[in-house]
Amino acid sequence: MDALRIFLDGANRNRTLFVLLVGFALFPIYTGIADLPFWNDLAMRIMLLGLAAMGLNLVLGYGGMVSFGHAAFVGVGAYCVGISQYYGLFNGWIHILMALGACGALGLVIGYLALRTSGIYFIMITLAFAQMLFFLFVSLEQFGGDDGMSIDRAEFIIIDLWEPLRLYYLIWAALALSSVLLMFIVRSRFGVVLQAIRSNESRVEAMGLAPLPFKITGYVISAMICGLAGALFASWQEYVSPDIMHWTRSGELMIIIILGGLGTLSGPLLGAVVFLLLEEILPEVMHVVAPSYAENWMIVFGPILIAVVLFARGGLMGLVHQMTGRRR
Amino acid sequence: MSETVLQIEGLEKSFGALRATCDVSLDVAHGEIHALIGPNGAGKTTLIRQIYGSETSDAGVVKLRGEVMNGLNVPQRVARGIGRSFQISNVLMDFTVLQNAILAEQARRGESFRFFRPAFDDQALIEGAGVMLDRVGLGYRATTPVADLAHGERRLLELALALAAEPALLLLDEPMAGAGSEETQHMIEIIDGLRSRAGILLIEHDMDAVFRLADRVTVLVEGEIIASGAPDVISADKAVREAYLGSDDHA
Repeated sequence: MDALRIFLDGANRNRTLFVLLVGFALFPIYTGIADLPFWNDLAMRIMLLGLAAMGLNLVLGYGGMVSFGHAAFVGVGAYCVGISQYYGLFNGWIHILMALGACGALGLVIGYLALRTSGIYFIMITLAFAQMLFFLFVSLEQFGGDDGMSIDRAEFIIIDLWEPLRLYYLIWAALALSSVLLMFIVRSRFGVVLQAIRSNESRVEAMGLAPLPFKITGYVISAMICGLAGALFASWQEYVSPDIMHWTRSGELMIIIILGGLGTLSGPLLGAVVFLLLEEILPEVMHVVAPSYAENWMIVFGPILIAVVLFARGGLMGLVHQMTGRRR
Repeated sequence: MSETVLQIEGLEKSFGALRATCDVSLDVAHGEIHALIGPNGAGKTTLIRQIYGSETSDAGVVKLRGEVMNGLNVPQRVARGIGRSFQISNVLMDFTVLQNAILAEQARRGESFRFFRPAFDDQALIEGAGVMLDRVGLGYRATTPVADLAHGERRLLELALALAAEPALLLLDEPMAGAGSEETQHMIEIIDGLRSRAGILLIEHDMDAVFRLADRVTVLVEGEIIASGAPDVISADKAVREAYLGSDDHA
């Protein structure tokens, strides 16, 4: 009963997130009727990027740790699927468990080493670790090296994934579950300490709390969520290559979070929706408005992102709060 | 004689050629307010930092109730009973007054690695936090975001947080800094009322406050103790007057 009460209270404080989740749950009904299967594919991509961004947001937004290498965890999660299949393991649940385990362990090691630094050094060390992993997978010829490896749809004992909608709802379930988990975490005592560390680390120390264990724990949880997103990403794309962990992917996740609203529960998912929709729609619009510049749609995309960051304090969630007249 | 809470012996600290702390030894007893005065740059804050653990010492020993503190970091020292208020208010600006206190309360209880129940709705924490705020008379500002507090109120919150863990030793680094005269009076009364709770090492530039509060005064000049004793002895000391108080500074 207590859990339900906390859940409802949290859901009420994060309506945008739950509106989006319900929207994604109902979306295939619309695409089914309107016969637009392509949009299901886009929705899955949005949910996967949103999930990864949510994971990163725990350290970036709530913990104030600017990790510039989180795509590495997405990539390791994805390669857990590819490599398992290479060795004949096709059970999707095992893939997910492996991705969680591998990213948790990797997050622990990287977090333990990198979190001894802060500021620009932390950014550079996390980037360095990510680049190291990137080049490791580029050099692993047996797993496709640069070209990557193709992946069969994994077998889930309960949920058979040959039917596209089942993968859709598996991704949705992962997103919804992670959202609820994060909702509990950020409001818990642990989550409050994490946010206090972002606000003023020396005050947290003055209260007698050593910040490092909290930061590392947050980092591990964040890495595991990104790993989960990666494992599902591999199943969705039926392919994995080192490109998934390229440093620009890490940057993309950061842009999505900042666009949606740093340190908010709904922000990363809302950011992913807007980011990917713009990416999809802008070229079309440019094609109509200025056909000769259609390929240069990024010229419009960039300024839109900059405008949101500059003028909407707190990203899109800041706008939402302004419109609904609510303080964060 | 009451228990000695803090004892430091032969403390040294140099920054390159600058000797910030030269062979400093002093002690603070329970129930005592020991004031540390000296001109700007005398090394008062450096000394506080060495006791608090945010600065390592080149030599010397810091003991809290007989236990050697050397080698312990800040959170460990806080957990063993050292509380500190900072010269520049060091509070959580993004949080409300109550939220600051709730965090201090959960830290005091050592119950922070919990992932389920919302901290800010926890009745037990809210009660403990309320007691903490009432101690400095800030309870009526509980729901105010810290960013909206007046300067003096922020100083009070700072003090409440320093007291949160019920420290045996309280290090107060210019608690009156920047406060108006009325706020200063209020602060003096509150600090006076803390005697029974802890031993207090007080850095303060407001000489009026120092001479009203202090049981003992130590004068630090260029990292060295030049005098230490009862307030009336210190205010009569010729060397102290020349080095620090000035002939017309202390009315």
